[in-house]
Amino acid sequence: MVKRRHFIHLLRLLLVFAGMNALWYVAYLLMNHAILPSPGAVYKAMFQLGAHDVALNVGYSLMRITEGVLLALLLGLLAGLLMGRSPFWNRILDPVVYLTYPIPKIALLPVVMLFFGLGETSKVLMIMLILLFQVIISVRDGVKAIPESTYDVLTSIGASTMQKFWNVTLPGALSVILSTIRISLGTAISVLFFTEIYGTEHGMGFFIMDAWLRLDYPEMYAGIMLFSLVGFVLFLLVDVLDYRFMKWRR
Amino acid sequence: MSSLKNNGLRINQLHVAYQNGQLALGEMSLTLPEHGIYTVIGPSGSGKSTLLRAIAGLLPGYEGELLFNGRSVHDKDTLIGLVPQNYGLLPWKTVKDNIGIAMRIARPDGAGRGRREQDRQIMHWLESMGIAQLAGRFPLSLSGGQQQRVAIARAFAILPTLLLLDEPFSALDAITREGLQQIFIDNWQAHPATTLFVTHDVEEAILLGQKIIIMLPGQQEPPEILDNATVFAMKHSQKRESDEYFEQTKRIRKVMMEKW
Repeated sequence: MVKRRHFIHLLRLLLVFAGMNALWYVAYLLMNHAILPSPGAVYKAMFQLGAHDVALNVGYSLMRITEGVLLALLLGLLAGLLMGRSPFWNRILDPVVYLTYPIPKIALLPVVMLFFGLGETSKVLMIMLILLFQVIISVRDGVKAIPESTYDVLTSIGASTMQKFWNVTLPGALSVILSTIRISLGTAISVLFFTEIYGTEHGMGFFIMDAWLRLDYPEMYAGIMLFSLVGFVLFLLVDVLDYRFMKWRR
Repeated sequence: MSSLKNNGLRINQLHVAYQNGQLALGEMSLTLPEHGIYTVIGPSGSGKSTLLRAIAGLLPGYEGELLFNGRSVHDKDTLIGLVPQNYGLLPWKTVKDNIGIAMRIARPDGAGRGRREQDRQIMHWLESMGIAQLAGRFPLSLSGGQQQRVAIARAFAILPTLLLLDEPFSALDAITREGLQQIFIDNWQAHPATTLFVTHDVEEAILLGQKIIIMLPGQQEPPEILDNATVFAMKHSQKRESDEYFEQTKRIRKVMMEKW
């Protein structure tokens, strides 16, 4: 029964994918111009890319995203938990978050580039900056949403602060953390693209812009497809985490 | 005399105030002997829950003394098994893990037992509550009665010195409640921890307590204490039909009519 449902789900996804390709093909026929190659030409270009080349570019992009996301999670969790559990720290940090949240972080790209150069640091920092505030706010609200009474039994048997953190605060806030990651991954991937068009010769953003400069449109679209695939795989990963840790909600 | 007799839970001139100075619990003193079980009944706002929370160490401040066998109840040696009204289970842990984590935190030394021994004990407690088949389930997938059984199993499993129950059966329907009262008293008789049982149900107070502490509204008068040894000594299934039970009901109702 479950297998069958999964099968139908997969079939529907494949059908939608095929439909989108069909639309693309129709658009290609209508435009009849080099700037929109046919799906066939793009897939052909994709399979002509060297495995080493693809692995290198995807690998660089994944590494930057992973570093940025982990850094944002680490700092965001710390600040968010602090603000969620301690009224004192919330009073101090809340105005900071409130004032800095509306700044469009992507506008800080030149600043980050000035301070940290054009290398890896500025790329990872940019991704981190974009995610950090969302993580802080959602972790704080997630922690605050845990009813005080959830801690009662553990408190009454003398649980330490760390024991309460591992057994109540973290698992209680995990669902909001996961949904924040899910939402902010999309943003992170967009920012990654921006940061990969300067100061690097690796990464999906570089690959796409390079193909564009060489007027190699099939390869450019192949790059966009690969980039999307990377995003898709990352989303699946979050789904797997969700399935693993959120069993209790079903 | 009471200063010499330090056997059990001694509540000495306890009173608790809210931050605005208003009393949450008027002054009360009480001695609950070790391995005794008293029920606490009272109208809402009379400080029943406050009393339990003070003993459980969940209140930041209170006046007076709370001693168990002569030492503070918040001492490391006094282990408290709390059964809150909302069951207090961690929704992200399975039934088995909910009990396991409480056991590990309550007795970190583990008394030399390994994982397997702990699992065995958890299963023993689940069996005695009649819910062994639920060990792998998550609390949100259980009914209220099942969750309450888990909460009680958890409280017994840590082998507490003091067992505190805060209206544990109030959210349950009458039939489930009666079944659980029977299971509870059976388990308590097998492992008689010193117990305070808060309830708002007159029947339950008479069925489960050796003495009945009747809290009064207004935080001014000390609670009335009613001896219930005769009913308590009967077989649980026969208590409801006995004359003494009716007498006790009448006595409590009289206090309720006059003072509540």
